[in-house]
Amino acid sequence: MSHFASALLFAGTAIVLQAGFLPSLLPGYAKPDLLLILVVYLGLHERPWRGGALVYGIGWGYDCFAGHFPGLHGFVLLALFLAVRAIVTRVNTESSVLLLALVLTGTVLQGVLVAFALDFFHRTQQVWSLILLQLPWQVILNLLSAYILLHVTLWLQRTFLPRSTLPGLRKLDSRYDS
Amino acid sequence: MWEWWRKNRTMLLGLVLILAALLWYSAGLRRQEQTSLLDRSLLVIVGPVLEGLDYGISAAADIWGHYLYLVGTVEHNRQLTTENRNLRGLIARLEEIDLENRRLRRLLEFKEEQAVAGLPARIIAEDASSWFRTVMIDKGIEDGVSAGMPVVAAEGLVGRVVRSSTGQARVLLITDASSAVATLVQHNRARGVCRGQGERLSFEFVLRREDVAIGDRVVTSGMGGVFPKGLVIGQVTALSRDPFSLFLTVEVTPSVDFSHLEEVLVLSREDP
Repeated sequence: MSHFASALLFAGTAIVLQAGFLPSLLPGYAKPDLLLILVVYLGLHERPWRGGALVYGIGWGYDCFAGHFPGLHGFVLLALFLAVRAIVTRVNTESSVLLLALVLTGTVLQGVLVAFALDFFHRTQQVWSLILLQLPWQVILNLLSAYILLHVTLWLQRTFLPRSTLPGLRKLDSRYDS
Repeated sequence: MWEWWRKNRTMLLGLVLILAALLWYSAGLRRQEQTSLLDRSLLVIVGPVLEGLDYGISAAADIWGHYLYLVGTVEHNRQLTTENRNLRGLIARLEEIDLENRRLRRLLEFKEEQAVAGLPARIIAEDASSWFRTVMIDKGIEDGVSAGMPVVAAEGLVGRVVRSSTGQARVLLITDASSAVATLVQHNRARGVCRGQGERLSFEFVLRREDVAIGDRVVTSGMGGVFPKGLVIGQVTALSRDPFSLFLTVEVTPSVDFSHLEEVLVLSREDP
Protein backbone atom coordinates (compact mmCIF):
# COMPACT_ATOMS: atom_id res chain seq x y z
CA MET A 1 0.00 0.00 0.00
CA SER A 2 1.38 3.42 -0.88
CA HIS A 3 2.21 5.96 1.81
CA PHE A 4 -0.54 8.18 0.40
CA ALA A 5 -3.20 5.49 0.85
CA SER A 6 -1.80 4.54 4.27
CA ALA A 7 -2.06 8.16 5.41
CA LEU A 8 -5.67 8.39 4.16
CA LEU A 9 -6.57 5.11 5.88
CA PHE A 10 -5.00 6.34 9.12
CA ALA A 11 -6.87 9.65 8.81
CA GLY A 12 -10.21 7.86 8.29
CA THR A 13 -9.60 5.55 11.25
CA ALA A 14 -8.52 8.51 13.40
CA ILE A 15 -11.74 10.41 12.62
CA VAL A 16 -13.90 7.37 13.44
CA LEU A 17 -12.00 6.83 16.71
CA GLN A 18 -12.13 10.51 17.71
CA ALA A 19 -15.82 10.93 16.91
CA GLY A 20 -17.25 7.54 17.80
CA PHE A 21 -15.02 5.60 20.17
CA LEU A 22 -12.78 7.81 22.32
CA PRO A 23 -15.58 10.09 23.67
CA SER A 24 -17.12 7.06 25.40
CA LEU A 25 -13.78 6.22 27.07
CA LEU A 26 -12.57 9.66 28.12
CA PRO A 27 -14.34 12.00 30.54
CA GLY A 28 -15.29 15.50 29.39
CA TYR A 29 -14.84 16.68 25.84
CA ALA A 30 -11.08 16.31 25.41
CA LYS A 31 -9.85 13.61 23.09
CA PRO A 32 -6.43 13.04 21.52
CA ASP A 33 -5.99 14.63 18.10
CA LEU A 34 -4.58 11.72 16.12
CA LEU A 35 -4.76 13.73 12.88
CA LEU A 36 -2.37 16.31 14.32
CA ILE A 37 0.13 13.53 15.04
CA LEU A 38 -0.29 12.30 11.45
CA VAL A 39 0.29 15.82 10.09
CA VAL A 40 3.47 16.23 12.16
CA TYR A 41 4.71 12.85 10.91
CA LEU A 42 3.88 13.75 7.29
CA GLY A 43 5.63 17.10 7.77
CA LEU A 44 8.81 15.26 8.76
CA HIS A 45 8.80 12.67 5.99
CA GLU A 46 6.57 13.71 3.08
CA ARG A 47 7.49 15.94 0.12
CA PRO A 48 6.09 19.51 0.35
CA TRP A 49 3.65 19.59 -2.58
CA ARG A 50 2.35 16.04 -2.30
CA GLY A 51 2.18 16.21 1.48
CA GLY A 52 0.63 19.69 1.41
CA ALA A 53 -2.16 18.56 -0.92
CA LEU A 54 -2.76 15.44 1.18
CA VAL A 55 -2.86 17.38 4.46
CA TYR A 56 -5.20 20.04 3.00
CA GLY A 57 -7.55 17.27 1.79
CA ILE A 58 -7.44 15.58 5.19
CA GLY A 59 -8.26 18.96 6.77
CA TRP A 60 -11.39 19.31 4.63
CA GLY A 61 -12.40 15.79 5.60
CA TYR A 62 -11.81 16.65 9.25
CA ASP A 63 -14.15 19.65 8.88
CA CYS A 64 -17.01 17.29 8.04
CA PHE A 65 -16.76 15.84 11.56
CA ALA A 66 -15.39 18.72 13.65
CA GLY A 67 -16.99 22.12 14.12
CA HIS A 68 -19.04 23.68 11.34
CA PHE A 69 -16.57 25.90 9.52
CA PRO A 70 -15.67 24.50 6.07
CA GLY A 71 -11.97 24.95 5.33
CA LEU A 72 -10.92 25.74 8.90
CA HIS A 73 -8.97 22.55 9.51
CA GLY A 74 -7.68 22.62 5.94
CA PHE A 75 -6.00 25.94 6.78
CA VAL A 76 -4.86 24.91 10.28
CA LEU A 77 -3.40 21.53 9.28
CA LEU A 78 -1.72 22.98 6.16
CA ALA A 79 -0.11 25.73 8.28
CA LEU A 80 1.12 23.09 10.75
CA PHE A 81 2.48 20.91 7.95
CA LEU A 82 4.36 23.82 6.36
CA ALA A 83 5.69 24.92 9.76
CA VAL A 84 7.15 21.45 10.28
CA ARG A 85 8.54 21.46 6.70
CA ALA A 86 10.21 24.80 7.43
CA ILE A 87 12.38 23.29 10.19
CA VAL A 88 12.83 19.81 8.77
CA THR A 89 16.27 20.45 7.23
CA ARG A 90 17.65 21.77 10.52
CA VAL A 91 16.69 18.85 12.78
CA ASN A 92 17.18 15.12 13.09
CA THR A 93 13.91 13.83 11.67
CA GLU A 94 14.61 10.28 12.88
CA SER A 95 14.42 11.27 16.54
CA SER A 96 11.31 10.13 18.41
CA VAL A 97 11.87 12.87 21.01
CA LEU A 98 11.66 15.44 18.22
CA LEU A 99 8.33 14.00 17.09
CA LEU A 100 6.97 14.32 20.63
CA ALA A 101 8.30 17.89 20.93
CA LEU A 102 6.68 18.77 17.61
CA VAL A 103 3.37 17.26 18.74
CA LEU A 104 3.54 19.45 21.85
CA THR A 105 4.33 22.60 19.87
CA GLY A 106 1.84 21.62 17.17
CA THR A 107 -0.99 21.27 19.70
CA VAL A 108 -0.36 24.77 21.03
CA LEU A 109 -0.04 26.20 17.50
CA GLN A 110 -3.22 24.41 16.42
CA GLY A 111 -5.15 25.92 19.35
CA VAL A 112 -3.85 29.41 18.54
CA LEU A 113 -4.64 29.07 14.82
CA VAL A 114 -8.17 27.76 15.43
CA ALA A 115 -8.86 30.56 17.94
CA PHE A 116 -7.40 33.20 15.60
CA ALA A 117 -9.38 31.98 12.58
CA LEU A 118 -12.64 31.90 14.56
CA ASP A 119 -12.11 35.20 16.37
CA PHE A 120 -10.81 37.15 13.37
CA PHE A 121 -13.23 35.89 10.73
CA HIS A 122 -16.26 34.82 12.75
CA ARG A 123 -16.10 37.11 15.82
CA THR A 124 -16.19 34.17 18.23
CA GLN A 125 -14.21 35.60 21.15
CA GLN A 126 -15.39 32.86 23.55
CA VAL A 127 -13.24 30.34 21.75
CA TRP A 128 -10.03 31.79 23.27
CA SER A 129 -11.07 31.03 26.86
CA LEU A 130 -12.41 27.62 25.85
CA ILE A 131 -9.18 26.64 24.09
CA LEU A 132 -6.87 28.09 26.76
CA LEU A 133 -8.72 26.20 29.47
CA GLN A 134 -8.52 22.93 27.60
CA LEU A 135 -5.04 23.28 26.13
CA PRO A 136 -2.97 21.72 28.98
CA TRP A 137 -5.18 18.63 29.05
CA GLN A 138 -5.08 18.44 25.24
CA VAL A 139 -1.27 18.66 25.21
CA ILE A 140 -0.99 15.78 27.70
CA LEU A 141 -3.45 13.64 25.74
CA ASN A 142 -1.71 14.28 22.42
CA LEU A 143 1.73 13.57 23.85
CA LEU A 144 0.55 10.36 25.45
CA SER A 145 -1.17 9.24 22.24
CA ALA A 146 1.91 10.06 20.14
CA TYR A 147 4.10 8.03 22.52
CA ILE A 148 1.74 5.04 22.46
CA LEU A 149 1.26 5.27 18.67
CA LEU A 150 5.02 5.28 18.09
CA HIS A 151 5.51 2.14 20.12
CA VAL A 152 2.45 0.33 18.75
CA THR A 153 3.40 1.15 15.14
CA LEU A 154 6.95 -0.13 15.67
CA TRP A 155 5.66 -3.30 17.29
CA LEU A 156 3.16 -3.89 14.45
CA GLN A 157 5.84 -3.28 11.85
CA ARG A 158 8.27 -5.68 13.55
CA THR A 159 5.60 -8.37 14.05
CA PHE A 160 3.62 -8.32 10.82
CA LEU A 161 5.73 -6.47 8.23
CA PRO A 162 9.34 -7.14 9.23
CA ARG A 163 10.67 -6.54 5.71
CA SER A 164 8.81 -3.35 4.88
CA THR A 165 9.70 0.03 6.31
CA LEU A 166 7.93 3.24 7.11
CA PRO A 167 10.06 6.34 6.65
CA GLY A 168 11.44 7.55 9.94
CA LEU A 169 10.04 4.72 12.02
CA ARG A 170 12.66 2.07 11.26
CA LYS A 171 15.43 4.11 12.85
CA LEU A 172 13.26 4.99 15.83
CA ASP A 173 13.41 1.34 16.77
CA SER A 174 15.85 1.00 19.68
CA ARG A 175 17.61 -1.91 17.94
CA TYR A 176 18.98 0.56 15.40
CA ASP A 177 20.37 2.93 18.02
CA SER A 178 24.14 3.07 18.00
CA MET B 1 16.53 39.76 -7.33
CA TRP B 2 16.55 36.33 -9.01
CA GLU B 3 18.98 35.09 -6.40
CA TRP B 4 16.75 36.37 -3.58
CA TRP B 5 13.73 34.68 -5.18
CA ARG B 6 15.56 31.37 -5.51
CA LYS B 7 16.67 31.57 -1.87
CA ASN B 8 13.25 32.36 -0.43
CA ARG B 9 11.03 30.68 -3.01
CA THR B 10 9.90 27.79 -0.80
CA MET B 11 9.06 30.01 2.15
CA LEU B 12 7.15 32.49 -0.01
CA LEU B 13 5.18 29.74 -1.76
CA GLY B 14 4.35 28.27 1.64
CA LEU B 15 3.05 31.62 2.84
CA VAL B 16 1.00 32.05 -0.34
CA LEU B 17 -0.50 28.58 0.20
CA ILE B 18 -1.42 29.37 3.82
CA LEU B 19 -2.94 32.69 2.76
CA ALA B 20 -4.91 30.98 -0.01
CA ALA B 21 -6.21 28.39 2.47
CA LEU B 22 -7.19 31.18 4.89
CA LEU B 23 -9.00 33.10 2.15
CA TRP B 24 -10.80 29.95 1.03
CA TYR B 25 -11.90 29.36 4.63
CA SER B 26 -13.04 32.97 4.91
CA ALA B 27 -15.05 32.71 1.69
CA GLY B 28 -16.54 29.42 2.92
CA LEU B 29 -18.05 31.13 5.97
CA ARG B 30 -20.78 32.51 3.70
CA ARG B 31 -21.76 28.96 2.77
CA GLN B 32 -21.51 27.80 6.37
CA GLU B 33 -25.13 26.68 6.61
CA GLN B 34 -24.98 24.64 3.41
CA THR B 35 -24.11 20.96 3.38
CA SER B 36 -21.46 20.45 0.70
CA LEU B 37 -21.11 17.41 -1.53
CA LEU B 38 -17.96 16.42 0.38
CA ASP B 39 -19.87 16.64 3.68
CA ARG B 40 -22.67 14.48 2.33
CA SER B 41 -20.37 11.89 0.77
CA LEU B 42 -18.19 11.52 3.87
CA LEU B 43 -21.22 11.36 6.17
CA VAL B 44 -22.76 8.66 3.94
CA ILE B 45 -19.52 6.62 4.09
CA VAL B 46 -18.54 7.15 7.74
CA GLY B 47 -22.06 7.53 9.20
CA PRO B 48 -22.94 3.79 9.14
CA VAL B 49 -19.52 2.94 10.64
CA LEU B 50 -20.13 5.38 13.50
CA GLU B 51 -23.66 4.02 13.96
CA GLY B 52 -22.33 0.45 14.19
CA LEU B 53 -19.64 1.54 16.63
CA ASP B 54 -22.22 3.35 18.76
CA TYR B 55 -24.46 0.27 18.92
CA GLY B 56 -21.46 -1.90 19.82
CA ILE B 57 -20.37 0.43 22.63
CA SER B 58 -23.96 0.74 23.93
CA ALA B 59 -24.36 -3.05 23.96
CA ALA B 60 -21.07 -3.50 25.85
CA ALA B 61 -22.02 -0.74 28.32
CA ASP B 62 -25.48 -2.34 28.82
CA ILE B 63 -23.99 -5.75 29.61
CA TRP B 64 -21.53 -4.17 32.04
CA GLY B 65 -24.12 -1.91 33.70
CA HIS B 66 -27.04 -4.37 33.84
CA TYR B 67 -25.36 -7.67 34.64
CA LEU B 68 -21.86 -7.07 36.02
CA TYR B 69 -21.44 -3.71 37.78
CA LEU B 70 -24.36 -3.67 40.23
CA VAL B 71 -22.72 -1.89 43.19
CA GLY B 72 -25.20 0.55 44.76
CA THR B 73 -28.20 -0.78 42.81
CA VAL B 74 -30.29 -1.43 45.97
CA GLU B 75 -29.66 2.09 47.30
CA HIS B 76 -30.35 3.57 43.86
CA ASN B 77 -33.59 1.58 43.66
CA ARG B 78 -34.70 2.91 47.07
CA GLN B 79 -33.98 6.50 45.99
CA LEU B 80 -35.90 6.05 42.74
CA THR B 81 -38.92 4.58 44.55
CA THR B 82 -39.08 7.62 46.84
CA GLU B 83 -38.59 9.97 43.90
CA ASN B 84 -41.28 8.12 41.93
CA ARG B 85 -43.76 8.56 44.80
CA ASN B 86 -43.04 12.30 44.95
CA LEU B 87 -43.32 12.66 41.16
CA ARG B 88 -46.70 10.90 41.11
CA GLY B 89 -47.98 13.52 43.51
CA LEU B 90 -46.52 16.28 41.38
CA ILE B 91 -48.08 14.86 38.19
CA ALA B 92 -51.50 14.81 39.84
CA ARG B 93 -51.13 18.48 40.76
CA LEU B 94 -49.86 19.38 37.27
CA GLU B 95 -52.78 17.60 35.62
CA GLU B 96 -55.10 19.86 37.58
CA ILE B 97 -53.13 22.93 36.46
CA ASP B 98 -53.17 21.68 32.84
CA LEU B 99 -56.95 21.32 32.89
CA GLU B 100 -57.32 24.76 34.39
CA ASN B 101 -54.98 26.19 31.74
CA ARG B 102 -57.03 24.65 28.94
CA ARG B 103 -60.24 26.06 30.36
CA LEU B 104 -58.72 29.53 30.63
CA ARG B 105 -57.28 29.37 27.09
CA ARG B 106 -60.67 28.48 25.73
CA LEU B 107 -62.19 31.28 27.76
CA LEU B 108 -59.78 33.82 26.31
CA GLU B 109 -60.22 32.38 22.81
CA PHE B 110 -56.51 31.85 22.33
CA LYS B 111 -55.58 30.78 18.84
CA GLU B 112 -53.68 27.51 18.79
CA GLU B 113 -50.01 28.10 18.17
CA GLN B 114 -48.32 26.42 15.23
CA ALA B 115 -47.99 22.74 15.90
CA VAL B 116 -44.41 21.60 16.41
CA ALA B 117 -43.69 18.05 15.27
CA GLY B 118 -40.82 16.20 16.93
CA LEU B 119 -38.68 13.50 15.36
CA PRO B 120 -36.80 11.28 17.84
CA ALA B 121 -33.13 10.73 16.98
CA ARG B 122 -30.21 8.94 18.56
CA ILE B 123 -26.77 10.48 19.04
CA ILE B 124 -24.21 8.30 17.29
CA ALA B 125 -21.03 10.39 17.51
CA GLU B 126 -19.49 13.47 19.08
CA ASP B 127 -17.32 16.16 17.54
CA ALA B 128 -13.99 14.77 16.33
CA SER B 129 -12.14 17.77 17.78
CA SER B 130 -11.85 18.87 21.41
CA TRP B 131 -12.42 22.54 20.58
CA PHE B 132 -15.98 22.26 19.23
CA ARG B 133 -19.29 21.03 20.60
CA THR B 134 -21.27 19.22 17.93
CA VAL B 135 -22.90 15.78 17.81
CA MET B 136 -24.04 13.52 15.00
CA ILE B 137 -27.58 12.07 14.98
CA ASP B 138 -28.94 9.08 13.08
CA LYS B 139 -31.60 11.03 11.17
CA GLY B 140 -31.01 12.99 7.97
CA ILE B 141 -32.61 14.32 4.80
CA GLU B 142 -34.49 11.02 4.29
CA ASP B 143 -36.30 11.67 7.58
CA GLY B 144 -36.98 15.33 6.79
CA VAL B 145 -34.11 16.76 8.84
CA SER B 146 -32.52 19.88 7.38
CA ALA B 147 -30.12 22.62 8.49
CA GLY B 148 -31.58 25.13 10.93
CA MET B 149 -34.00 22.79 12.71
CA PRO B 150 -33.99 23.09 16.51
CA VAL B 151 -33.05 20.04 18.57
CA VAL B 152 -34.31 19.47 22.12
CA ALA B 153 -34.15 16.89 24.90
CA ALA B 154 -36.60 16.27 27.74
CA GLU B 155 -34.65 18.71 29.95
CA GLY B 156 -34.46 21.57 27.44
CA LEU B 157 -32.77 22.99 24.36
CA VAL B 158 -29.87 21.02 22.85
CA GLY B 159 -28.96 23.02 19.72
CA ARG B 160 -29.70 23.23 16.01
CA VAL B 161 -28.95 21.15 12.93
CA VAL B 162 -26.05 22.58 10.91
CA ARG B 163 -25.40 19.82 8.36
CA SER B 164 -27.61 17.10 7.01
CA SER B 165 -26.86 14.15 4.73
CA THR B 166 -29.05 11.24 3.58
CA GLY B 167 -29.18 9.35 6.86
CA GLN B 168 -27.26 11.47 9.37
CA ALA B 169 -27.12 15.08 10.50
CA ARG B 170 -24.81 17.17 12.65
CA VAL B 171 -26.12 19.30 15.49
CA LEU B 172 -24.37 22.38 16.87
CA LEU B 173 -24.83 22.32 20.66
CA ILE B 174 -25.76 25.52 22.50
CA THR B 175 -22.51 25.15 24.49
CA ASP B 176 -20.33 25.59 21.37
CA ALA B 177 -18.36 28.85 21.33
CA SER B 178 -19.95 29.85 18.01
CA SER B 179 -23.51 29.30 19.21
CA ALA B 180 -25.74 32.22 20.22
CA VAL B 181 -29.39 31.92 21.29
CA ALA B 182 -31.82 34.79 21.90
CA THR B 183 -33.10 34.23 25.43
CA LEU B 184 -35.05 35.74 28.31
CA VAL B 185 -35.32 35.24 32.04
CA GLN B 186 -38.54 33.36 32.62
CA HIS B 187 -39.92 35.27 35.61
CA ASN B 188 -39.29 38.90 34.53
CA ARG B 189 -38.78 38.51 30.74
CA ALA B 190 -35.37 40.27 30.80
CA ARG B 191 -33.85 39.77 27.35
CA GLY B 192 -30.32 38.76 26.37
CA VAL B 193 -28.23 36.38 24.30
CA CYS B 194 -26.81 33.07 25.58
CA ARG B 195 -23.41 32.23 24.10
CA GLY B 196 -21.68 28.87 24.48
CA GLN B 197 -18.56 28.58 26.61
CA GLY B 198 -17.76 24.88 26.39
CA GLU B 199 -19.69 23.51 29.33
CA ARG B 200 -21.60 26.60 30.47
CA LEU B 201 -23.22 29.59 28.79
CA SER B 202 -22.66 33.29 29.22
CA PHE B 203 -25.89 35.31 29.27
CA GLU B 204 -24.96 38.59 27.61
CA PHE B 205 -26.61 42.00 27.08
CA VAL B 206 -28.83 41.80 30.16
CA LEU B 207 -29.26 45.36 31.45
CA ARG B 208 -27.78 46.05 34.90
CA ARG B 209 -31.10 47.34 36.23
CA GLU B 210 -32.85 44.03 35.52
CA ASP B 211 -33.87 41.94 38.51
CA VAL B 212 -31.92 38.73 37.87
CA ALA B 213 -30.94 36.33 40.66
CA ILE B 214 -29.10 33.04 40.99
CA GLY B 215 -31.48 30.15 40.31
CA ASP B 216 -33.58 32.04 37.75
CA ARG B 217 -34.67 29.95 34.80
CA VAL B 218 -33.61 31.08 31.31
CA VAL B 219 -35.73 30.20 28.26
CA THR B 220 -35.62 30.91 24.52
CA SER B 221 -37.25 34.18 23.48
CA GLY B 222 -38.26 33.05 19.99
CA MET B 223 -36.46 36.04 18.45
CA GLY B 224 -34.37 35.26 15.39
CA GLY B 225 -36.78 32.62 14.15
CA VAL B 226 -34.55 29.58 14.75
CA PHE B 227 -35.80 28.34 18.12
CA PRO B 228 -39.44 28.30 19.23
CA LYS B 229 -40.30 30.47 22.21
CA GLY B 230 -40.22 29.05 25.73
CA LEU B 231 -37.70 26.21 25.45
CA VAL B 232 -35.73 25.83 28.70
CA ILE B 233 -32.03 26.60 28.37
CA GLY B 234 -30.82 26.45 31.94
CA GLN B 235 -30.48 28.25 35.25
CA VAL B 236 -28.48 31.27 36.36
CA THR B 237 -25.59 29.96 38.48
CA ALA B 238 -23.31 32.98 38.76
CA LEU B 239 -23.96 36.69 38.60
CA SER B 240 -21.98 39.89 39.05
CA ARG B 241 -22.96 43.55 38.81
CA ASP B 242 -20.10 45.78 37.73
CA PRO B 243 -21.04 49.37 38.73
CA PHE B 244 -19.34 50.74 35.60
CA SER B 245 -20.91 48.37 33.11
CA LEU B 246 -24.20 48.69 31.28
CA PHE B 247 -24.79 44.97 31.42
CA LEU B 248 -24.77 42.21 34.01
CA THR B 249 -22.25 39.38 33.84
CA VAL B 250 -24.36 36.24 34.06
CA GLU B 251 -23.36 32.59 33.83
CA VAL B 252 -25.98 29.98 32.94
CA THR B 253 -25.66 26.24 33.49
CA PRO B 254 -27.54 24.32 30.78
CA SER B 255 -30.42 22.16 31.98
CA VAL B 256 -29.34 19.41 29.59
CA ASP B 257 -26.47 17.19 30.72
CA PHE B 258 -24.60 17.05 27.41
CA SER B 259 -22.11 14.45 28.63
CA HIS B 260 -24.90 11.89 29.08
CA LEU B 261 -27.10 12.84 26.16
CA GLU B 262 -28.24 9.84 24.10
CA GLU B 263 -31.61 10.66 22.53
CA VAL B 264 -32.92 13.96 21.23
CA LEU B 265 -35.96 15.34 19.44
CA VAL B 266 -35.61 17.28 16.18
CA LEU B 267 -38.38 19.89 15.95
CA SER B 268 -39.99 20.98 12.71
CA ARG B 269 -42.71 23.56 12.34
CA GLU B 270 -45.84 22.28 10.66
CA ASP B 271 -49.20 23.82 10.01
CA PRO B 272 -51.89 22.65 12.45
